[in-house]
Amino acid sequence: MSLRPKHVNFDETWGTLRRTIEGVVTLSKVPRVEWNDRFTDVYTLCVAHPEPYTNQLYSETQTFLRKHVQALRTEIEKYESNSSLLKVYYDMWVKYSQGVEYLNKLYSYLNQQHVKKSKLSEADITYGGVTDMPGHMIEIGELGLEIWRQDMLEKIQDTLIELVLEAIRSDRRGDTAVSTTIVNGVVHSFVAVEDPKHRIPGDPHTHLTVCHPFSASPTFYEKAFEAPFLQDTGRYYQQEASKLITTCSVSEYMEKVIQKLNEEDMRARRYLHASSYGKLSSECHRRLVSDHLSALHSECRIMVENDRRQDLTNTYGLLKPLASGLNVLADTLEAHIKKEGLEAVGNLKPETAHMDFVESIILLYKKYKDIVNTVFKSDQMFISSLDKACTAVINFRQCTKNPCRSPELLAKYCDALLKKSTKGYSETEVDEKLSQSIIIFRYIDDKDVFQKFYSRNLARRLINHLSHSMDAEEAMINRLKQACGYEFTNKLHRMFTDVSVSSDLNNKFNDYLTKEGIKLPISFSIMVLQAGAWPLQQNPSPFAIPQILESSVQKFETFYGRQFNGRKLTWLHHLSSCDVKLSYTKKPYFIIMQTFQIAVLTSFETCDEMVYRDIREATRLTDDQFVRHLQSLIECKLLECDDKEFTQDSIIKLNKGYSNKRAKFRISGAVQKETPQEVEQTHVSVEEDRKIFIQAAIVRIMKSRKVIKHNVLIQEVLQLSNGRFSPTISVIKKCIETLIERAYLERTPNSADEYSYVA
Amino acid sequence: MKVKIKGWNTVAVWKWLANDDKCGICRAPFDGCCSDCKVPGDDCPLVWGVCSHCFHMHCIMKWLAAQQNQICPMCRQDWQLKSE
Repeated sequence: MSLRPKHVNFDETWGTLRRTIEGVVTLSKVPRVEWNDRFTDVYTLCVAHPEPYTNQLYSETQTFLRKHVQALRTEIEKYESNSSLLKVYYDMWVKYSQGVEYLNKLYSYLNQQHVKKSKLSEADITYGGVTDMPGHMIEIGELGLEIWRQDMLEKIQDTLIELVLEAIRSDRRGDTAVSTTIVNGVVHSFVAVEDPKHRIPGDPHTHLTVCHPFSASPTFYEKAFEAPFLQDTGRYYQQEASKLITTCSVSEYMEKVIQKLNEEDMRARRYLHASSYGKLSSECHRRLVSDHLSALHSECRIMVENDRRQDLTNTYGLLKPLASGLNVLADTLEAHIKKEGLEAVGNLKPETAHMDFVESIILLYKKYKDIVNTVFKSDQMFISSLDKACTAVINFRQCTKNPCRSPELLAKYCDALLKKSTKGYSETEVDEKLSQSIIIFRYIDDKDVFQKFYSRNLARRLINHLSHSMDAEEAMINRLKQACGYEFTNKLHRMFTDVSVSSDLNNKFNDYLTKEGIKLPISFSIMVLQAGAWPLQQNPSPFAIPQILESSVQKFETFYGRQFNGRKLTWLHHLSSCDVKLSYTKKPYFIIMQTFQIAVLTSFETCDEMVYRDIREATRLTDDQFVRHLQSLIECKLLECDDKEFTQDSIIKLNKGYSNKRAKFRISGAVQKETPQEVEQTHVSVEEDRKIFIQAAIVRIMKSRKVIKHNVLIQEVLQLSNGRFSPTISVIKKCIETLIERAYLERTPNSADEYSYVA
Repeated sequence: MKVKIKGWNTVAVWKWLANDDKCGICRAPFDGCCSDCKVPGDDCPLVWGVCSHCFHMHCIMKWLAAQQNQICPMCRQDWQLKSE
């Protein structure tokens, strides 16, 4: 056999070829030898001498295929609008598409040599916008499919598609009379007949590329099948949804909808082409969820209030795909947490306010944190709902004039945990509770108020040696440092340093005493503190120190003067305490009391009865301080007085018959309770600190900017104070005024709302 | 003795005892620290010269290091640390 071009009789060769083609297309048996010969025939026709018969071969084949398809159609039309039409069509399609594929191989010479040449490159198709020219040659396989589309599908498409839709409808009703394979095959034939330019040969998932991003016009599949299918589905679920919503509760409705969406998703995978999955589910979603959004939204509040977690999970799942579907739910959640929180902390008993406040907020937080995590899958939107609600609850003020009590209560809570008298809590429990209090701390707006209260409480614990454990104290400070930075805990750290420096100092003092051979009448210990670091009151009153203590004061001052140059000590007697032994009672008592209290008590050294005025003069305390300490001694029955209200002449008696079950106790605590005035004072001093902070911030900003607009300055101040407290605009304005008065800045002459820095 | 005091836990605060309330070099109060330090107290001490002028230790060290003559910036006398 020669490959050389030769004379051929077209009609004769075509005659033989045609018989084989018939066999191939109908998938009857074609012997290998015959296949090989016909393959050669295609070749010889294409290279025939003197004129190749390529075009003739192509058009003859086209005519042949068209006739074949038309014959098939005549047959199929007998089944018109009969449900077995689907099966017949499917069988024919399977056979034909297979046959055409083989035929394509038989004509591979023609395909490769002649079609490829005239075929446009991919780029031309993509960007050139070239439409198929008439008479333009395409591969035989494509030609076969093209003919199938034109002469078969487009002719019977209405009946066929109606039958497919009916089959799917009956599947939805649970009736699977029509085989899945057939419906699936028919649907996919719509994709397969489409211009396979966009198909990657040999890839079973070629369908994916049907929706070519550049093909502007919809494909045959989309136009002929998908659009009516989606419309049909939409109509079906519209009816279904309005039927369900009137008969079921919202909760049942959601259950059903989720079930239906799942079913429909499975159905899509059974019948449809992959490009339709998303479109179908969004269509169903639109009909079942978006159309009934208001019904779902109206139920949100009740679901949140009754903690119906399953329903909430369902709602979340259904509303999540919608662009703004979750807003209502998130807002409802926020409002509900806020309401529940405010109810919980609305009525606190004064004595246990700090405990109840913190623990109920922690409980609330944990409950909703859990819901946000499990039900709402830690969705950012819901986390911020929780945050907003907590911030609102924690920083809530009953009336705008009173400061928010939360920072104070939280500090008190920490104090209660860190004190020695923590009842019944193990160390790990205390630790856990303290870590939890940080959660609340993070939400507090006025962190500086918390800091003030916390540092006062810490000072009291350190000075009176009330701390449960130093490790716990330091752990807490480190937590605060983590949450709020070094600046915030700086002073607290300095307090700790002073405590350890003081204990060294006591040792040195004792060594000094031994070396000098001095013996003090009492055992002496002292804390020497840096004036700036401790939130301490100044001496509230002049005081005549009991004589027995005097020598210790002198000796220590001498010692301290030698140790440090240029330092001045101020004694804070109102903070100091004494260990005292009572020997006038039946049995001895060991009492820890304040120095002011002991001063009152030692006045009775020489007598058992004294006049108010005389004691006061002996101690030299101011009236209010004196009354307070005298009162405390009478309350604990060490002293007696018949008068309800003290006068200058009231007679105070020593209670010689004093008895107490305990031999060792402390009465210093009674006068150390925080008074409302002190709380008030703390708030005032916070206000002062804030003003200083704002002024410093303004000067710093002005120094770097030189000239700045009023609004920008306010913004920058707000930014700098963010995380410590949120100043009001009026306070900032006042600070600006003060600084103008003090000539740090001035208004620029040509503009009303601009300041410039005065260096 | 009816009442015997056995022990005394007392508290005192200390401040710098200076003849002025501001450092003549950095103009920051002695209760605060010099401009290079963050925290007042033991880490930023004061020193006194024989001329009785007082400065943050860090401030006077910086001043002396920058001058050829070791003189007090306030009174221009020779600077010498006052010993105990």
